Amino acid sequence: MTYIGAEVIISPLGRTTAQNWAAISANQSGISLVKQAGFDNADLYLSKMLDLVDDYKFERLLSDALTAVSEQIDPKILTSQRTIVIISSTKGELDKDINDPFGKSIAALVERFSLVNQPLVLSNACISGVLAINAASNFIQAKIYDHAIVIGCDLISDFVVYGFQSLFAISDKPCAPFDASRNGITMGEGCGAVVVSNTKEIFRNGALQLLSGTSANDANHISGPSRTGEGLFRSVRKTLESNQIAPDEIDFVCAHGTATVFNDEMESIAFDRVGLTNVPLSSLKGYFGHTLGAAGVIETTASMQMMRHGTLLKSLGYHESGTSKKLNVLAENVSSRPETILKTASGFGGGNASLIIRSL
Amino acid sequence: MDNLKEDLKKQIIEQLNLEDITPTDIADDALLFDDGGLGLDSIDALELIVLLEKYHGIQVVNPEEGKVAFRSIDTMAEYIRKRKS
Amino acid sequence: MSLITTYCHLSADQCSVNGKVVSTRERSAAGSWFKQIYKEQEFVYPKFYKMDALSQAGFLASELIKRANQGIVNSYKDDEIAMLFANQSSSADTDLRFMHSYEHNGAPSPSLFVYTLPNIVLGEIAIINKWYGENMFAVLPKFAPGFFADYGRILLSTGAKAVLCGWLGVLGDHIEVFVWLVENESENGLDFNKENLLELAGI
Repeated sequence: MTYIGAEVIISPLGRTTAQNWAAISANQSGISLVKQAGFDNADLYLSKMLDLVDDYKFERLLSDALTAVSEQIDPKILTSQRTIVIISSTKGELDKDINDPFGKSIAALVERFSLVNQPLVLSNACISGVLAINAASNFIQAKIYDHAIVIGCDLISDFVVYGFQSLFAISDKPCAPFDASRNGITMGEGCGAVVVSNTKEIFRNGALQLLSGTSANDANHISGPSRTGEGLFRSVRKTLESNQIAPDEIDFVCAHGTATVFNDEMESIAFDRVGLTNVPLSSLKGYFGHTLGAAGVIETTASMQMMRHGTLLKSLGYHESGTSKKLNVLAENVSSRPETILKTASGFGGGNASLIIRSL
Repeated sequence: MDNLKEDLKKQIIEQLNLEDITPTDIADDALLFDDGGLGLDSIDALELIVLLEKYHGIQVVNPEEGKVAFRSIDTMAEYIRKRKS
Repeated sequence: MSLITTYCHLSADQCSVNGKVVSTRERSAAGSWFKQIYKEQEFVYPKFYKMDALSQAGFLASELIKRANQGIVNSYKDDEIAMLFANQSSSADTDLRFMHSYEHNGAPSPSLFVYTLPNIVLGEIAIINKWYGENMFAVLPKFAPGFFADYGRILLSTGAKAVLCGWLGVLGDHIEVFVWLVENESENGLDFNKENLLELAGI
C-alpha cells in the first residue's frame, strides 16, 4: 500500500496548513484586486502573497514547505537515501534567472536540508502537481525509493500574467469555475507539499491511502482544451480501472475547473462520459486562484484536509450551472466524510492527469 | 492598388512568421482562417489583435470582435478604416 | 526485455539516425538549421514553421525515428507509446523571446507565450501521431541516464509498450538533442540501461 500525508499549504490565505484550512472552510478567498499588476498597468484580480517580500521567493517557499513537512514526519526520512524530493513547477524562479529557473533554488535546498538524492523537477504545465504525486507513487511501487516528498510551487510574475493577458484568458472578476457567468482564470501563487511513502508509521498525524493515478494526452491542441474531453476521460477511466474502482465509489471530485469557458465545458463532458455527473464536485480555484504547477499539489492537500475534517468545500464563485453537461457542483459546504476522492488536472500541451485518495 | 491592404499582408507575414509566403500569395478576399486560405488558428487570431495595436493603434478589447474582422484582408481593411474614421 | 531500438542525435552541425549522419549544417544556408533539416528530409507538416525550436527539435527527431522504424506507427495502440523527455533549461529559449516581445517589441506575443512551457513539445508530437499515452517532462541539471532508465522502466511496467525518450538541450546556439525509442517487444536493439544510454548519448 502507498500512503500519503503530512500535507502543507502556503498561500495568500496563510503560511500554515491550519491557517489555510480555517480560511477555506469559512469560504474565504485569497483573491484580491491588485493595482497595476497587468500589462499596461491594468488592475487585476490575483491570489497573490502580498506579504512575500523575500529576494528569493521560490527558494523561500520550497524551504518553508520542507521545514513544515519535516515537522510532521519521522525526521530521519528527510536525509534518507531512500527518499526523493520531487518539485512540480512551471516557471520556478524565472524572475531571478530565466536561463535556469530551478537550478540555484534546488541546490540551496539540497545543501540546507542535507538531501541525499538530487531532487527531480517536473514541469508539465498545469498537470505538474498531480503528475508529480503519481510519479512519487510509481517510484515507491517500483521500489526505487521508499519515500517521496512532493512540493508544488509557482509564483505570479509579469511573465505569466502578461502571457495569460495576451491570450485574453484572465477574468475581469474573481474566477467563477463552472458558473454560467465565468469568463476566465484568476492567477494565483503558493506552495503545497505532501509526503508519499510505503510506511504508514512515518506520519505523525496519520496517513491516507494514495491510489496511483495516470495521465493521458488529448492529442488535439497545444493550448486549447479538447472539445470531447478525450484525454481527461481516458486518464480518469484508466485511473479508476487500474485501481478497480467503480465511478459510484467516488465520493467527491476535486476538479481542475480553471473557469475558462472552454476548459470547464470540456471537464463537464469528460466527467459525463465517465459517469461522474452526480458526484459532489468542486474547483478550488476560487480560493487559491490558478497556481499553475503548484495547483495539483495545493488542491490535493486541501482535499486531504477535507477528508480529515469531514467537510466538502463549496466551489467558490459557483451559482448557476454553465456547462452543457450538468455536474453536481457544490454551491454550499457539505458536512460529509468522504471515503474516496478523485483529483484531476488538465493543461497546456494537452496533458490530463488524475489520482485517487482513500481514507484508511 | 490599395496600400492599406498591401501593408496588412506584409504585416501579417511579419507578425505571424509565415514562411515561404509573399504578399502576392494572399488574395484580398481569401479566408484567412480557412485551410484553403492561410489556415490560421485561434492563437494567430490573438496575434492579429497585437498587430492591429502595434501597426494601427487600434485596441481590440473583445476577441470575439476579431472573429468577424479577421475573415479576410478585405474585412480587416474595412474594420481598420471604420475604427479610424 | 526492454531494448533501445532506434535513436536520433541533433547537434549544432549534424543530424544522425542510429549513428548515421543524415544532414550536415550548411552555414551559408538561409534560415535556421532545423528548417534546413526539415526541407532536406522533405517533411510536409506546415505547422512545423509555427513551432518553437524545442518543438521543432522534437518533431524532427521523432519523425526521423518513425522513418527508420516503420513498425512504431502500426504496432501499437494509440495509448501504448509513452513519452519521457527532459532537459536542463526548460523552455528558456522561447521564454527569452517572449520576454523580449513585451519588454522591447510593444506587447506580449500570444503565439510565443503558448510555447513557454517545456512539455508543449510532447503535445505537438502527441497531436501529429494521435498518441494518447502518458507524458512527462523533467528539468534536470544534466543528462541523467539513471532517471530515464528508472522512469522509463516504470512506464513500461504500467501500461506502455514503448517509450519515446528524449534529452532536448536547445538554448540559442547550443543544441544537444538525443531522442531514442525503447520497446518492450523487440528482437533487435541495445539493452535499455544506464551504461548503454550514457555511451549512446555522447553528451
